[in-house]
Amino acid sequence: MIRDLKRVRNIGISAHIDSGKTTLTERVLFYTDRIYKINEVRGKDGTGAVMDSMDLERERGITIASAATYCEWKKHNINIIDTPGHVDFTVEVERSLRVLDGVVLILCSVSGVQSQSITVDQQMKRYEVPCIAFVNKCDRSGANPAKVARQLKDKLGHNSVLLQLPIGLEDKHEGVIDLVAMKAYYFEGEHGEKVTVKEIPENRIEEARAAREEMIDAASLFSDELTDAILEEADITDDMIKTAVRTGVLARQITPVFLGSAYKNKAVQPLLDAVIDYLPSPLDINNEAIDLDNNEESVVLESSFDKPTVALAFKLEDGQYGQLTYLRVYQGCIAKGDTLINSRDGKKVKAGRLIRMHASQMEEVEEIPAGHIGAMFGIDCASGDTFVSPSINYSMLAMHVMEPVISLSIVPRDNKAQINMSKALNRFTKEDPTFKTYVDHETGDTIIQGMGELHLEVYVERMKREYQAEVTTGKPRVAYRETITQKAVFNYTHKKQTGGAGQFGRVAGFVEPCDEEFEFVNKITGGRIPTQYIPACEKGFLACMHKGPKLEFPVTGIRITIDDGAYHAVDSSEMAFQAAARGAFLEAYGKARPVIKEPIMKVVIETPNEFQGSCMGLINQRRGIIQGSQEEGVMSVIESQVPLSEMFGFSTILRSATQGKAQFTMEFSSYKQVPQSIAEEIIKQKQEEKKA
Amino acid sequence: MLKKDLNLRSPIEKIIGIDNITNSNFGAVLSRAGVGKTRFLVQIALTQLLNDQKIVHVSLEDSMGKINLRYNEGYTNLVDSIGYVDPQKAVRLWDDINLNKVGISYNEASFDTTKIKDYLKSFTKAQLPMPAIMIIDGLNFDEEITDVLEDLKSINQEFSISIWFAMRTHRDEALSKEGYPVQLETRNELFDKALFLQPVDNKIQAIVLKDGNKTNQEYLLEPATMMLADQDI
Repeated sequence: MIRDLKRVRNIGISAHIDSGKTTLTERVLFYTDRIYKINEVRGKDGTGAVMDSMDLERERGITIASAATYCEWKKHNINIIDTPGHVDFTVEVERSLRVLDGVVLILCSVSGVQSQSITVDQQMKRYEVPCIAFVNKCDRSGANPAKVARQLKDKLGHNSVLLQLPIGLEDKHEGVIDLVAMKAYYFEGEHGEKVTVKEIPENRIEEARAAREEMIDAASLFSDELTDAILEEADITDDMIKTAVRTGVLARQITPVFLGSAYKNKAVQPLLDAVIDYLPSPLDINNEAIDLDNNEESVVLESSFDKPTVALAFKLEDGQYGQLTYLRVYQGCIAKGDTLINSRDGKKVKAGRLIRMHASQMEEVEEIPAGHIGAMFGIDCASGDTFVSPSINYSMLAMHVMEPVISLSIVPRDNKAQINMSKALNRFTKEDPTFKTYVDHETGDTIIQGMGELHLEVYVERMKREYQAEVTTGKPRVAYRETITQKAVFNYTHKKQTGGAGQFGRVAGFVEPCDEEFEFVNKITGGRIPTQYIPACEKGFLACMHKGPKLEFPVTGIRITIDDGAYHAVDSSEMAFQAAARGAFLEAYGKARPVIKEPIMKVVIETPNEFQGSCMGLINQRRGIIQGSQEEGVMSVIESQVPLSEMFGFSTILRSATQGKAQFTMEFSSYKQVPQSIAEEIIKQKQEEKKA
Repeated sequence: MLKKDLNLRSPIEKIIGIDNITNSNFGAVLSRAGVGKTRFLVQIALTQLLNDQKIVHVSLEDSMGKINLRYNEGYTNLVDSIGYVDPQKAVRLWDDINLNKVGISYNEASFDTTKIKDYLKSFTKAQLPMPAIMIIDGLNFDEEITDVLEDLKSINQEFSISIWFAMRTHRDEALSKEGYPVQLETRNELFDKALFLQPVDNKIQAIVLKDGNKTNQEYLLEPATMMLADQDI
């Protein structure tokens, strides 16, 4: 692996589903000699794209898990993480963004900035990842890259600047005009591998000059040298422009826009040049960890090979040789045989086989130095764990992970499936922090939880295909919560005398709503409850939070304050105070006007204009709240908030209402109180289930 | 409580009367470009939101994001006009009432009243309370739009929703003898309320052109906030 980090790029390819990122990655691998044949997504030729390594991905034409690969372009080492496009898999996108230094944001030149692009963009902002944009599919009917560049500005707030102009659009798309070099690029050969540089066509020169001026104007904000050259009317060199644009990109102040068509093999090579010219190297990025031995102070990591190692495990995969752990090394170097510490549990591990990946193929390496992405075999860990040298105790900052909002019961078909299912679930929960599983002790069912119907559906499918675990699924269930809406006091005495040592404990105080999940406040004075029993009180209250007294949903948003109590020198014990706390909770809970809360999803529908009214109607009928609607050319985008319980089967309803022309995305937004009439239905349903 | 205070402070209470807004079938706010028609209409809509009513804001000029921005700004101006308000309370109230606002942005060329009708029908179908008012901003009254206005009139009748328009006038056009700009004069019978905004010195003058016994009353507004100029904080 290259040790000159100036020549390393760790990039991601992020975009809306179906905007062509897997196709683009495939072309990149072809032009960089990593593959020798181009396969199309959706397996038209029976093979499927190299980056889609799971069968399921090939079949559905979507990229589910990030497959990492590296390639070389003009003596630079580029590590690429292909990211999924569907909202249900955003944890994958987020994980990728955590370890990347830059992103190529792909947009479709026809549909432009779509709802998922907005989500991806927000994630890029959260992790402050610099980006360049590639407007793909310029060969499609209705392609309008200039409109997409404008949308980048208007909808995502990017300072977007075209660095290329298209030569022909739709079926006449031949190549691009480079506004820096002021040359026309054409792509010839069977797979567009031959790049021909020509003069800009006569009839486009004026347009190109105007666009270049506009671009230089925008770039000049980031370079005094360029500004001086403009003012002094001196020669403006390509380097001056590139340096200025690069400075702007690194500061996330400018987004250069490139154009082309990956599918038609147009303008992928200039995009690779742009990755090198404008996206940051590991040296350009400030990475931080927290020092667990020093009050979790943040420490800046240096991309130096001699410093103690800090690496983040960002993805796990089950391979034929055991667990494959994908790592980004931020500091130091991991070499074969090195001892590392997993800072989450303090366990020592020994680095075994080190590899770098090319989707499902791998190449063995001796070391993974700082700034690089690689993988390690034979280590048992969870996604998001930090590995460090024994001399330090750092942890990379925790990734932002959302709580699951939907659950499904699964029952294995037979004993063999039961064993395989456990293996699969064990792997999936390690791989994906938003995927959770537990056994419902009352029904004995295994429950899986995730971020959406499709999310769970894919895991059930993977269980079947990768682990031969045939399971029957129940109806999806919404993860309801309980909370209280007003303050209520308690004063409960737990007293038991059944022969032998008795039990005694009294706790008094109040419960009230709060924004946190659970808060426990101890205001006991004068030793009314001895200090050693306070943790037992908290434990008792906490135990009640898992199953609310109203409907047995988890309780959230509650602050419990204890301010009085009593104990007995002989009969009081931790157990007695735990029981007293449980009794106190039950006493106060009913008086605190408990309510049920349900997950509300942000639903964005994209529909042809003629169906806008009826789509808005669909939302209204689902207790949804429309936040707004925007017409964009022939399409309308409707943003709304809808309870998850109303969204089951929505895709079928939407399809039939719009002749299959509309699509929607959905992601968790917040928990809100369920209206009384619906709450009554839920109570009734719950009671019926109990009877059954 | 805050809702009530804000509505009492609203310029709309004094100029039109909050209860009076939904009494109209068609209302219009007229002015030349850039004087503050939309900002005044936003203040009208805010009074309804503060009364826990739903409103629909249709714009043929602004994007959805800009519509939202205008409401944020309008609400902030209103909150600021009553002096100190607990910021958390103000934000919580906004989060609450903002849910009742639907901003719809249409392209002028493809604006079609059937989409609005389809949308409003779904309220009836789902037995939901109908929006109290609909704001229509950006409709070009210099063009022949009789059909559009007739459709909107039928929507107004069918769904009992009061519709308020922004009507752009031009400084070089003479007023009618009643003082109506030509855009209103030619459709006078459709509108039961109309208000004209014009800059006077460093203020905005609001003249009630049409509204029963309020007709011809005049008020002064702060151009930056659209709040009444003579109100004390």
